[in-house]
Amino acid sequence: MSAREFGEVWALSQLSPGIHLVALAGLIGRRAAGWRGVVAAVAGMMVPAAAITVALTAAYGVIAASPIARAALAGVAPVTGGMTIATAALLVRASARHGRAHVAIDVAVALGFVVAAAFLGVPALAAIGAGALIGAIALGRERPTSRETSVG
Amino acid sequence: MDALALFGVFLKASALSLGGLSSLPLLRADLVAPGIATDDQVVQAIAIGRISTGPNGLYIVSLGYLVGGLVGATVALLAASLPPLVIVPITALARRWLLTTSVAGLVRGVAFATAGLLVATGIGIITATGNPSLWQLALAAIATVLTYRGTLHPAIVIAIGAATGLAFGR
Repeated sequence: MSAREFGEVWALSQLSPGIHLVALAGLIGRRAAGWRGVVAAVAGMMVPAAAITVALTAAYGVIAASPIARAALAGVAPVTGGMTIATAALLVRASARHGRAHVAIDVAVALGFVVAAAFLGVPALAAIGAGALIGAIALGRERPTSRETSVG
Repeated sequence: MDALALFGVFLKASALSLGGLSSLPLLRADLVAPGIATDDQVVQAIAIGRISTGPNGLYIVSLGYLVGGLVGATVALLAASLPPLVIVPITALARRWLLTTSVAGLVRGVAFATAGLLVATGIGIITATGNPSLWQLALAAIATVLTYRGTLHPAIVIAIGAATGLAFGR
């Protein structure tokens, strides 16, 4: 696979729903070995990591109820909340278009959704539907790039 | 909650999200609000997902395990793995359509909506106890900055949170 081909499958994977790395693995697997390649690539990426995740979760479960674990969780909870907010900022950074005017519009739209979701209580499905509609009508004038994101 | 219903919840969250953690708002709405999972379990799953190997989105496997044991983890893994793969046949059939400005705009709009939902969810997690302490708010702010800058491994950021919790949380 050439660097250009990789760049293209990366850009296409960013358009997929769900975990983009799964889409990337699937697209690379298909190029390499058809549908068998898709299954092999996705299973290779997900199954060992999922097994490790389950093992870690089960291991934590053994000590989860202890006072020490409860105290640690009181610090981990705000950290995960902060990580979630940072993920939102990274998502906007990765998705915003180039150019001052476009960036200003994009950030304003994103802030509008922050207000709608955090302060007006707009339900998730309604927000996503509105985002899709507004985006398809008004936010498409620049193609997404293959810039790497840390959103995963 | 039976396995099929759990699969449906995870599949919906995965199919309507864009990237790793962005399924969280839908999952929190469908699992925490009805009392199937707790915010503590969500926090554990996110933290373990960040510490573990693989994509960030695998936190849902941890959440699946916490809610439904090995069966829950398995349905979560399937639900996380299937929706992204719709891109494979669509790319084969309609690659040009995928690269149109309308599709780019649609994905961008969903990303901005998801960002708003993630901020709301983050605030929800931070304030889940009802009355977060000053040190907890400071930790949340520090974690936000460190994660955005991306210079420290997430496991270290989580360890900082755990250590601060042990110091102040008892």
